Amino acid sequence: MAHVPTAEGTVMNGATSLVKSLEAAGVDVMFGIPGGAILPAYDPIYDSTIRHILVRHEQGAGHAATGYAQVTGRAGVCIATSGPGATNLVTPLADAAMDSVPMVAITGQVPSLAIGTDAFQEADIRGITMPFTKHNFLVTNPDDIPRVIAEAFHIATTGRPGPVLVDIAKDALQKETTYNWPTTIELPGYKPQVTPHQNSINDAAALIAISKKPVLYVGGGVIKANGARELLALAELLGAPVVTTLMARGAFPDSHPLHMGMPGMHGTVAAVTALQKADLLITLGARFDDRVTGKLSTFAVNAKVIHADIDPAEIGKNRYADVPVIGDVRETMKALVPALKAAFAKSQPDLTPWLDSMNKLRATYPLGYDIPSDGSLSPQFVIERLSQICGPDTIFAAGVGQHQMWASQFVKYEKPRTWLNSGGAGTMGYAVPAAMGAKVGAPDTTVWAIDGDGCFQMTNQELVTCALNDIPVKIAIINNESLGMVRQWQTLFYDSRYSNTSLESKRVPNFPLLAEAMGCVGLACERPEDVDAVIEKAMSINDQPVVVDFRVHRDAMVWPMVAAGTSNDDIMIARATAPDWDSQEL
Amino acid sequence: MAIHKLEVLVENEPGVLARVAGLFARRTYNIDSLVVGPTENAKISKMIIEVSVEGHSLEQVIAQLDKLINVIRIEEVLEGAISNTKHDTQPDYQN
Repeated sequence: MAHVPTAEGTVMNGATSLVKSLEAAGVDVMFGIPGGAILPAYDPIYDSTIRHILVRHEQGAGHAATGYAQVTGRAGVCIATSGPGATNLVTPLADAAMDSVPMVAITGQVPSLAIGTDAFQEADIRGITMPFTKHNFLVTNPDDIPRVIAEAFHIATTGRPGPVLVDIAKDALQKETTYNWPTTIELPGYKPQVTPHQNSINDAAALIAISKKPVLYVGGGVIKANGARELLALAELLGAPVVTTLMARGAFPDSHPLHMGMPGMHGTVAAVTALQKADLLITLGARFDDRVTGKLSTFAVNAKVIHADIDPAEIGKNRYADVPVIGDVRETMKALVPALKAAFAKSQPDLTPWLDSMNKLRATYPLGYDIPSDGSLSPQFVIERLSQICGPDTIFAAGVGQHQMWASQFVKYEKPRTWLNSGGAGTMGYAVPAAMGAKVGAPDTTVWAIDGDGCFQMTNQELVTCALNDIPVKIAIINNESLGMVRQWQTLFYDSRYSNTSLESKRVPNFPLLAEAMGCVGLACERPEDVDAVIEKAMSINDQPVVVDFRVHRDAMVWPMVAAGTSNDDIMIARATAPDWDSQEL
Repeated sequence: MAIHKLEVLVENEPGVLARVAGLFARRTYNIDSLVVGPTENAKISKMIIEVSVEGHSLEQVIAQLDKLINVIRIEEVLEGAISNTKHDTQPDYQN
C-alpha cells in the first residue's frame, strides 16, 4: 500500500486521519454526497489528492464504485452520510456482495452518545448491511480509523472480493487523534487460502485425464483473479468446450473455436447442452447459480465435478464437488497445466467426438433473432451493430432485463473487464452509474451503457454528474416502452395479461430532451437504416455524454430460454420450440 | 435429525452475536441452543452452538460460519470422544 510518511505520528482530527488513511490505502477516486454526520470528513477531502465525484444519489455512488472496481480490479470507494444517505447505499452493497465486487463504503454515523436514541438521521447501517457485506465496522474511537480502513481494504480486495462498510460516528471524526498507519494487519479469523493444495491439483488432473466429455465451466471468479491468459492456456491444452457465465463474459474470447457461449436461462443451446451432457465439469470461479443450473436435480446428472473456488463455502453449497480445489483460480489454472501435461503423458482421451457434437450443436443453433416484419427496429440488431461498430476494446455496462441478456448474447466479448452487469442481484438501474464509474476508471476507453427504458428511469440522474465532471459515457436506451423481461414472462406464463409493464416511454419522457436537460447530447433512432449513422455520430462525440433513444420493437423476446424452475433439458429456442434433439448424437 | 454441537471461538467485539445469529437465520439453519461466554483471553469469546442440520450439510454450516471475519476457530464437539474435530479457518478437503 502507498504510504504517507509525512503524516505519521501527526496529531489531527479523526476526519483528517480518515482521509490520510484513504490516501495511504491508495484511493485515487471516490463517489459520494456529504451530509450532517459525514460533514467533518468533507473538510479534509477538500484538500485531498483524492478525486471526489459529487453524485446526485447515493445509489449512484455505490454502483459507480462497482463499475470502477470491475474495470480496474481495484476497490471502488463510495461515501455517504448517516441515515438515508447510508440506506441509499444498501442496494449497491447487496449488488456488490452478490457479484463479489471489491468495494469500500464509508458512512457517517450520528455521534456515539446519540447512537441508539433514534437521533436525527440515525440508521443502524452496520446492522442493516451485515447480511450482504463481507464485513462491516462501526468506529467510535478516532484512534481506530487507520487500522479499520487498512483492514477494510484488505478484506474487500483479498480472498473472494466483496463490499466492506465502515460506519464512523461523527464525534470520532471530530476528536483529535494521532495518525498511525498500521504496518501489519491482524485478523485472526481471516486467512484466505490463495495457493491450492498440490494434492487437489493432482486429483483434478487425474480426473480430467480420464474424462471423455469435459467442459470448462467458467465463472466471474476467473475475471476477478485476472486469469484470462491462464484460462486460454488451460483450454487449449485440454481442447475441451468452454462456457462463460453471465459474470464471466470476456474471460475467454467469443471468437475462440472452443467457446460454446454462455450457459444458463438465456444461454446458447451448445453451452447449456455441453453442461447437461458433460461427464466432467471443470468449474472455475463459478457457483452453480440457479440461473445456470436450472432445476438442480436435473443439472448435468452424469457429470463429476471439479470445483475450483477461493471461497470454501461455495464448495458443495449447491452441487457436490468430487474434487474441490480451494484457492485463487488463477493459481489453480497455472498449477493445472503442468499437472495435466504429466497426466496426459500417460493417457489422453480423444475429445474429438465430444467437441464435434458440440460444434454441430453450435452451428445448428446459433444465436439469432427475427427482423420485425413491419420494418421497425429490432433491439438485438441495435446491440449487434453497437458491438460491431465499437469493437472489442469498448466497455459495455448493462442494466437488468431483456436488454441485458441481448447485450450478453449479441455483443462479442474478446477481453476481460469489458462487460459489466448486475448478475446476482439483478439490480435495475445499475447501468448508468456503473458506466460512470467505469469511465472514471478507464478514461481512455469508450464506455457504453446498454440500458432499458425502465432501468434508465431509475438512475439517469447520474448523467448530470457525468456532464459536470467530464465523464463522457454513452448510453444506448433500448426503448421498448415496457418492463420488457417482465412483459416476456407475462406473455409466456400469464396469458399475455400485461399487468403494469407498459411504461409508455415512447410518449413520456422524451429521452433526447431529458438528456439535453442534463447536459448531454440527446439522439434518437427508430429505423434500422439509421442505426449505423447514429452510433457513428455518438462515437464522434467525446466531450459530452451521449444518450441515444433506440425506439425498438416491443414484442421481441429473449431466446433461447430455460423457464425458471425447469430443467436445462427443456431449453426452448423459440416459443414452444425445442431443439431437434433426435437429429443430434450426444 | 442430527444435532451437532459446535464450539466457536470469536473475537470479543460488539455485534458478533448478531452476525452469527443473523447468518443462521438468513441461511435457514436451526439453532437448538446457544451459550456465549468469556475465555481466559479477554479478546476472545466462546460460543457453544447446537445446530440441527436439516437440508444442509454440517460442512456447509461450518464453512459459512467460518466466513465471518470475527470467527476464529470452529470445532465440532463429539460427546464421549477424546478430542474434538477441529475445523480450522479453512476446511482442508484434501489432507
